[in-house]
Amino acid sequence: MPPSLTITHLYPDHLNLYGDTGNLIVLRRRCQWMGIDCIVKVLSMGEVAQAGQSDLYFMGGGQDTDQVAVVADFHQLKYDAIRADTEAGVPFLGVCGGYQLMGHTFLMGNGEETRGLGIINVSTRAPGTEVKQRCIGNLIAEINPTTYADMQTMYATPREIPRTLVGFENHSGQTYLGEGVEPLAKTIAGFGNNAAAAYEGARYKNVFGSYMHGSLLPKNPHFADYLIGLALRRQQPDATLPALADTEELAAHSYAVQRYSQK
Amino acid sequence: MNQLLLIPIVAFAKLLTLALRMSGRGSGTALPGYLVGRYFPFVLEALVSQVPIVVAITGTNGKTTSQTMLSAVLDQMPEARVLRNKAGANLSQGILSELLKQSNALGRLDFTHAVLEIEEATLPRIATLLKPTIIAVTNLYRDQLDAYGEIDRTEKLIRDGIAQCPSAAVVVNGDDPRTSRLTQGLGNATYYVSLAPEYARYLPYEGQVNSRIPGSEGLEATNICINPDLTTDFSVQGLIRGETVHLPQAKTLSPGFFHVYNGLTAIAIAYLLGMDGATAIAGLQTFKPAFGRGEILTRRQGDRLVNYRLLLVKNPASFSLSLELLRNIPALKLILAINDNTADSKDVSWLWDSELERLNPADIDWIICTGIRAKDMAVRLKYALDAPPGPIPTVESIRQAIDLSFEKASPGDTVFVLPTYTAMLEFRKLMGKTLDIV
Ligand SMILES: [Zn+2]
Repeated sequence: MPPSLTITHLYPDHLNLYGDTGNLIVLRRRCQWMGIDCIVKVLSMGEVAQAGQSDLYFMGGGQDTDQVAVVADFHQLKYDAIRADTEAGVPFLGVCGGYQLMGHTFLMGNGEETRGLGIINVSTRAPGTEVKQRCIGNLIAEINPTTYADMQTMYATPREIPRTLVGFENHSGQTYLGEGVEPLAKTIAGFGNNAAAAYEGARYKNVFGSYMHGSLLPKNPHFADYLIGLALRRQQPDATLPALADTEELAAHSYAVQRYSQK
Repeated sequence: MNQLLLIPIVAFAKLLTLALRMSGRGSGTALPGYLVGRYFPFVLEALVSQVPIVVAITGTNGKTTSQTMLSAVLDQMPEARVLRNKAGANLSQGILSELLKQSNALGRLDFTHAVLEIEEATLPRIATLLKPTIIAVTNLYRDQLDAYGEIDRTEKLIRDGIAQCPSAAVVVNGDDPRTSRLTQGLGNATYYVSLAPEYARYLPYEGQVNSRIPGSEGLEATNICINPDLTTDFSVQGLIRGETVHLPQAKTLSPGFFHVYNGLTAIAIAYLLGMDGATAIAGLQTFKPAFGRGEILTRRQGDRLVNYRLLLVKNPASFSLSLELLRNIPALKLILAINDNTADSKDVSWLWDSELERLNPADIDWIICTGIRAKDMAVRLKYALDAPPGPIPTVESIRQAIDLSFEKASPGDTVFVLPTYTAMLEFRKLMGKTLDIV
């Protein structure tokens, strides 16, 4: 029987800015190419989450009003189950607004800080004097060495994978990592979490947050594979992935690194 | 308002325009409008009030096309003299500059109709000055990058604009929930233009489609057929001011569902202005697609000739709909030209919101990806296509992409080009101005 993954897409009808669904398109196709059965389930407003039903969670960003609505629903109907899953090591990816939303507090357009989902110990605050406008632009960052070393073990045969993540950021909130949370990567170009420290994204267990929205996974196939690998290893600890060719993805990746590495 | 006061102001503006042009500072369109608007705010009203019928067109997409189509329709009336503002000159100072330019030395505007494209947020600021007879709203799309609900604000601004003109008839897109609810609670006579329900799946509207009020007046398009030459045939039926409308054979020379909406808007307004349907659809057929909106460029080398048909893509909605048009093209030859300059959006995430998957049923001969973000486009295609037509060439240089496509095409072929804004400008420039519109 081929391996099978259930991906839960949280609130796609409310959180869908900046091409976030591209991440799902990529996870789905890569599973297909690797011979993994992949089912994407949607978990929306008003639906109760159940622990142990998902191998991977994904959440994008949305407009303020939608994000606020999501917080109330999440605490009522989903928090316990999803928190139990992430504590048990189920991978979770939140991107852009979704990343901010996962923390204890996040920032709305009017500058107000609001309670978040609280599944990772980060908080997002209003920019102080250190940043004048929104953090907008191409973002290049070098993956945390521990995570990078683990990423390399995912493949059946060793292969070269980029050390970098590339994407585009657009946010005003400044995210600070709390205790127990590691940065996902070190910023080479762009801002990332905040203008004070040159780090991008966060990792706690297998919960990941990133400011690289939209095209995070398409141009970072190694990170997509890592999420798939982490999910599979919870079913079968020695699972490995076949290496896909990734010619186009890696060409787009290295082009972005070359073109946008200068600040 | 003293008409005599208008004369020196208009003379000043005309002299300034002339001086700017002679000093080589461009055509000098914005500055006269800016200065006059700032120091003599009554001039806009004094000028526009001379034109008996004013039509204001606003909305996210299709303002220019609707305006051009309506002008083509109104031109069918022998006595009509239609004033229109230039595409993009749709803020209050741009509109004022256009009015100043088109008035004579005495500040007289000798026109029967003004058909003005107006930027969404500008409408409430100048609505009481324009006193439009008709306000048309094409659609209200949420930008994919709209994190702060700007579109809600825009909707409110347009509503405020309409509320300032209680006697204006309003023509709205009846399939777009945001436009169809615009006049709720207002007393304006409202006419809804819509496509028959079976086309709803092609439309990127948020929320409930067909949310217009039952029993309301308006026009509906049925039997929509997009032809291989990218003209669009459709039938129109409906009711306007108690008059039954039935036009079995309407046509636009431009492709697609968006253009059907724009055409319906023009026909509805023609009826409201007392024209008959046959004249209106005859006028619609004289409409020529503007550049980037179905325009055809030709490249010749000796006796080899290849046509390039340009369909500008500027957001996921327009990209998805352009792809929809290409599904029925036999042996499709396609260039996707994606730049990430400021005018295109520096963020290419929107490519992932564009439904490239719509190409799957198409009969694809070949595709070339080009532009600064050609490689991003190639990745998007790779994930969208169930069965790619062999390796997809990815050449950053648009010049090289044109050369390559010219080699690959057979004489007489039409290559479809879907460029972002600056890629389109570059493409046109590289092609020279060999322009002929079918
Ligand atoms: Zn973002």
